Amino acid sequence: MASMQLAQDPYNIIITGVGGQGNVMASRVLANMLVRRGFNVTIGETFGASQRGGSVMSHLRVSATSSWSPQIPRGRVDVVIALEPTEGIRVLKDYGNPQVKILSNKRAIRPVGVIAGELDYPSMEEIRGSVQELASSAWFIDATDEAVKLGNPILGNIIMIGALSGLGVLPLEREDFKEAILRSIPRDKLDINLKAYDIGRQIIKQNEDSTGN
Amino acid sequence: MSYLIDNTEGAQYLLMGNEAIARGALEAGAKVVCGYPGTPSSDIIESLAKIAKDMNIYVEWSTNEKVAMEVAAAGSFAGLRSMCVMKQNGVNVASDFLLHLAGSGTRAGMVLVSCDDPGALSSANEGESRFFARLVEIPLLEPGDFQEAKDMIKWAFELSEEIRNLVMVRSVTRMSHASGNVKFGKLPPGDVHAVFKCDGFILDPMEGAVMSLPVRYKHALQQEKIKKAGEIFEDCPFNSYHGPEKPEVLIITSSACNLYSREAIGILGVEDRVGLLKLGTTWPLPPELLKRHLSRTDKILIVEEVLPFLEENVKILAAEMAPEIGIKTFHGKNDGTIPAVGELNPDLVVGALAQIVGIDYKPVPDEYAEKAEGVPTSRAPARELTFCPGCPHRASFWSIHNALQLDGRKGFVCGDIGCYGMATLPCGFSTLKTLHAMGSGGGIASGFGKLGRLGFDQPVLAVCGDSTFFHAEVPALINAVHHNSDFTLVVLDNSGTAMTGFQPHPGLKVSAMGEDVTSVDIAEICRALGARVEIRDPFDLGETQETLNELIEDKAGLKVLILRQICALSPEKKAGKKYDMTIDDEICLGENCGCNKVCTRIFRCPGLVWDKEKMVTRVDDVICSGCGVCADICPEGAIKRKEVA
Amino acid sequence: MKVFGANELLEDVFEKNLCIGCGACTYLCPYFRSYRGKTAILFPCNLTQGRCWAYCPKVEVDLDDLSERFFGRPYEKDPLGFHRSVKISKAGRQVSEGSFQAGGTVSALMSFALSKGYISAAALTDREGLRPVPRLAQSTDDILRCSSSKYTASPTLSALNQAINEGHNQIGVVGTPCQVLAIAQMRSNPMGDKDFSDPVSLVVGLFCTWAVDFREFDAFISERIEGSRITKVDIPPPPAEIMEVYTDNGKIEIPLDEIRELVPNTCSYCTDMTAEFSDISVGVLEGRPDMNTIITRTERGEKIVDEARKEGFLILDDIGKENLEHLIWAAGNKKKRAFIKAKQEGMLNAREEGARCYLRVRPETVEEIIA
Ligand SMILES: Cc1cc2nc3c(=O)[nH]c(=O)nc-3n(C[C@H](O)[C@H](O)[C@H](O)COP(=O)(O)OP(=O)(O)OC[C@H]3O[C@@H](n4cnc5c(N)ncnc54)[C@H](O)[C@@H]3O)c2cc1C
Ligand code: SF4
Ligand code: SF4
Ligand code: SF4
Ligand code: SF4
Repeated sequence: MASMQLAQDPYNIIITGVGGQGNVMASRVLANMLVRRGFNVTIGETFGASQRGGSVMSHLRVSATSSWSPQIPRGRVDVVIALEPTEGIRVLKDYGNPQVKILSNKRAIRPVGVIAGELDYPSMEEIRGSVQELASSAWFIDATDEAVKLGNPILGNIIMIGALSGLGVLPLEREDFKEAILRSIPRDKLDINLKAYDIGRQIIKQNEDSTGN
Repeated sequence: MSYLIDNTEGAQYLLMGNEAIARGALEAGAKVVCGYPGTPSSDIIESLAKIAKDMNIYVEWSTNEKVAMEVAAAGSFAGLRSMCVMKQNGVNVASDFLLHLAGSGTRAGMVLVSCDDPGALSSANEGESRFFARLVEIPLLEPGDFQEAKDMIKWAFELSEEIRNLVMVRSVTRMSHASGNVKFGKLPPGDVHAVFKCDGFILDPMEGAVMSLPVRYKHALQQEKIKKAGEIFEDCPFNSYHGPEKPEVLIITSSACNLYSREAIGILGVEDRVGLLKLGTTWPLPPELLKRHLSRTDKILIVEEVLPFLEENVKILAAEMAPEIGIKTFHGKNDGTIPAVGELNPDLVVGALAQIVGIDYKPVPDEYAEKAEGVPTSRAPARELTFCPGCPHRASFWSIHNALQLDGRKGFVCGDIGCYGMATLPCGFSTLKTLHAMGSGGGIASGFGKLGRLGFDQPVLAVCGDSTFFHAEVPALINAVHHNSDFTLVVLDNSGTAMTGFQPHPGLKVSAMGEDVTSVDIAEICRALGARVEIRDPFDLGETQETLNELIEDKAGLKVLILRQICALSPEKKAGKKYDMTIDDEICLGENCGCNKVCTRIFRCPGLVWDKEKMVTRVDDVICSGCGVCADICPEGAIKRKEVA
Repeated sequence: MKVFGANELLEDVFEKNLCIGCGACTYLCPYFRSYRGKTAILFPCNLTQGRCWAYCPKVEVDLDDLSERFFGRPYEKDPLGFHRSVKISKAGRQVSEGSFQAGGTVSALMSFALSKGYISAAALTDREGLRPVPRLAQSTDDILRCSSSKYTASPTLSALNQAINEGHNQIGVVGTPCQVLAIAQMRSNPMGDKDFSDPVSLVVGLFCTWAVDFREFDAFISERIEGSRITKVDIPPPPAEIMEVYTDNGKIEIPLDEIRELVPNTCSYCTDMTAEFSDISVGVLEGRPDMNTIITRTERGEKIVDEARKEGFLILDDIGKENLEHLIWAAGNKKKRAFIKAKQEGMLNAREEGARCYLRVRPETVEEIIA
């Protein structure tokens, strides 16, 4: 029933970020969009301490046939969505491979050690350098800044999903987004979420500069 | 309408394992469901509570796991299918009742769901609950994917009614908290009439007294039941085998490890060499099924979390069957092929299997691995755990820490289970010095508080959350009062079981199902016990610390300080900031003598960021929750708070 | 002068049990606080140089340096320290009645300085029960309320630091010799602050041979008075060897030998009996409970004493030869004993690079004192 051939089966996605960035919701919405296209999707998430400043990762496995392990094996991710730029690097180091693509938000969330001045946070150039070293293609977008313009930084996660749809690596349809998001939000929030989705998609479609390499 | 009660047979949804379990209970027609919150189990009760009224079922967050199991048992005794849900160590709490219930037997189907947490992703232990099934002699099932998580629950109820005893279903974090596609079955019609029949012959299983006496008789009966379960398991649909007729290596596994093992076989491309026996029924093991599979191979790898439960049980069977099946080589936890602690994942299983089948596996080309290795870890600086911005615990532990330092007699805090357990770390100023089970803080403190006659002169504090208080703290307090033990209990009352996501508890006026209920007042209980009780707002740092010092010096036995402030993640708090925070750069002393960054170096709310260029502190507006506490930390008054209009 | 930070203060003073709890290091920052007579560090501070260290009278005090700064000459062996005059005194008619320790000289001087605007506030020591409580007095009434000696070590200088934080810049202080030493270090701007201005206008020192540890004293007395309320504590001048504790249930007398057991070890290293870095120092006068011994040291001290006398705040008289000799003997004795002890324990004049010690003073002077 799956309506589009996947580049890989399973196709592996990691959404990574920091507690409180809406990682879990993003992975649910994305997965539900794909379930609507007839795929089996498995999501593995780390809850628990996730609300409390730690890294949070969701592993999504998209397959035409079956459920997969909720943990992606090392070196096997196909696309990384980094809601926080250094978290993208952390994921690439463990799960990256020569073909991996990454879509990264630019907004830093500094770890407590950095806040306290004990650790350094890498510069955007350093981040780009490391990401491009490990990924076959990389996109950096100002998702949080755009979301703040929309009135709520949390919408950054939806902008990232919109952006992912713009990459064309998965059969992601606006209509499916609409249905999927309604499982997580009240109807009166739909418009603003659709707007966020569209903004993300446009950023990728219009701005060739955002393509890394 | 919640998708969980969609009555379209064959409808497909993406469900979390815990939702699948909840749906399974609905399809089985469960009518009484109780539990005590604990990650990774909480979502089961939560999702059922939301639809409880629509489905005419009774859902309860009980005071603790033992009570939950008792309440659920009443349902079974009254002819209603009942389920109780808890995390692994909750079964320890419930275990005394569990033993007796297994002895008395049940009537309508009753299922115990235990969600274990291999790797202790959100626990203070990685305890195994599976051994309880063997210990109290009840059947044990383990779902191996999301569809099974639903289907197995329904099957478990049927089994329970077949043998008239409790059935245990064990999930793990990676099953409960992971999600996958689940195909729905039908929901049964809802009418039931609860009645407890007890006028029959005393030993009649359906109309007599429900009890584990006379023990010899009931115990023998119980063993017949478990034997029967073993027979049923021989053709259970949840046991399956994939692989060659005579595999070089046979993997025996259950639960999430099934998915890891399947993937490992695929990654190594050894489908024609390695067989996978996935068991859904792990206690008692069906002997004939195992005999068939064991006799077709020489090498067996057992993949499971956390303790070698399957491994030991399979080995016992293999020893008994040795004359028929021959001598086998076992790999698993005992010989170190599988790590003895922590959770598993596909990579670990790949590693174990690769070693046995002699394959040199590399996840990525060497060149790429070197590149990845070459990216310095400083490009992704470590994220230490911390309390949320605006968390009342940060403020509470600030005051507790300071009170103990001022006191200067090397006082310490006995911790308990909840977010505040993180106060062993710098985010709680490393204040907690013991951390064990629910309610243990008070119990341990009660012990320390009696050591004065043996030379002990350190002040003793204990902390517990509001939910923890009801769960298991009260007996410890009674013990302390009765024996005149000298310590101070600080109740961190954040109005909900915050760590697991705001489930109501007996201190609140609303139940899991959203109904009005009687709230039980912590302060009144403590006063009734004879303790001196004070109530403060932890955001008032000065008063909290002064009160603490006063209580610590008061030698009047048990003292209780209730620190009341709502969790920063509560819907009320998330609705809006109380204060807008700014920093006056002119006043900020930064690293100079007189401050040395007390806000970012010590207090460390993630809402504050040290600006290395300007050498001043900044407020990160996206992260700051506007609690205003840091304004009172700053010695210079550089952090300004303005009430949000 | 070498300056170190809080970590060294912990190592050199707290871990060696030398802290007297004077309060000089408290309220300079969020880290040091005084509580029930003990100084506590709330959180570690990793600065390599800080005021806490620089002000502390129990580590790296350079007596020659301070003496040069205040009196224009190195530290000398004189048991009374540099001084201009030694007299006897008591409060004059301009001063209202108060429960003075002796002649009320100290309260008189503070009242006078405040009334003349020489100081805008005074950092003094009040009492709640047995506990000494630092107070910033801003009226004569406040000053009188703080009269009489509290025989426990007191964190009086925390009131001084808080007054400075609040912006006071003409502050009077009354303190024991260790406190006066801390104030002297504070006033000499050890951190080399560019826009430093001395916030202290008058320092009155008290004679002191020892003070007791508050927490031990509190426990000791509580056992003996069983819940009665304390109204006054007194040590009558020698030869009486007792402490008198007045309560609402009558008076109890405790032999001084028992009280001396409660004296912290750090007092035995103290070389100063007469608060040698004050403007004016005041003590009791043997045989005359209504009078004080008064020493003036600075020009300013001399001027204030003189004016206070003229305006009826102070009555002065000459000190008898016997009393003076006894004073010199007592002060010399304390100094000698402390120097011998400190020297024996290697606490003087550390020489290696980066080494820290208790006191610095020319070795010749030490030899003269010990001789
Ligand atoms: C701990 C201690 C030990 C002393 N030992 C001796 C001694 O051995 N020989 C001697 O001659 N005199 C000693 N004195 C000084 C003596 O007790 C009188 O304080 C002094 O004679 C002044 O008397 P007065 O009547 O002028 O004081 P008052 O006019 O009554 O004023 C007393 C002043 O002392 C201050 N004060 C009280 N207690 C303390 C304290 N613990 N720390 C700092 N300031 C305080 C008050 O703020 C007040 O201003 C000691 C004082 C103290 C506090
Ligand atoms: S506590 Fe205040 S003065 Fe110190 S660094 Fe923070 S904002 Fe600046
Ligand atoms: S007001 Fe201060 S303490 Fe509260 S959340 Fe904001 S930065 Fe943190
Ligand atoms: S160095 Fe300065 S900031 Fe640090 S503890 Fe000492 S006085 Fe405080
Ligand atoms: S300055 Fe005073 S209170 Fe602070 S350490 Fe030194 S003696 Fe103790």
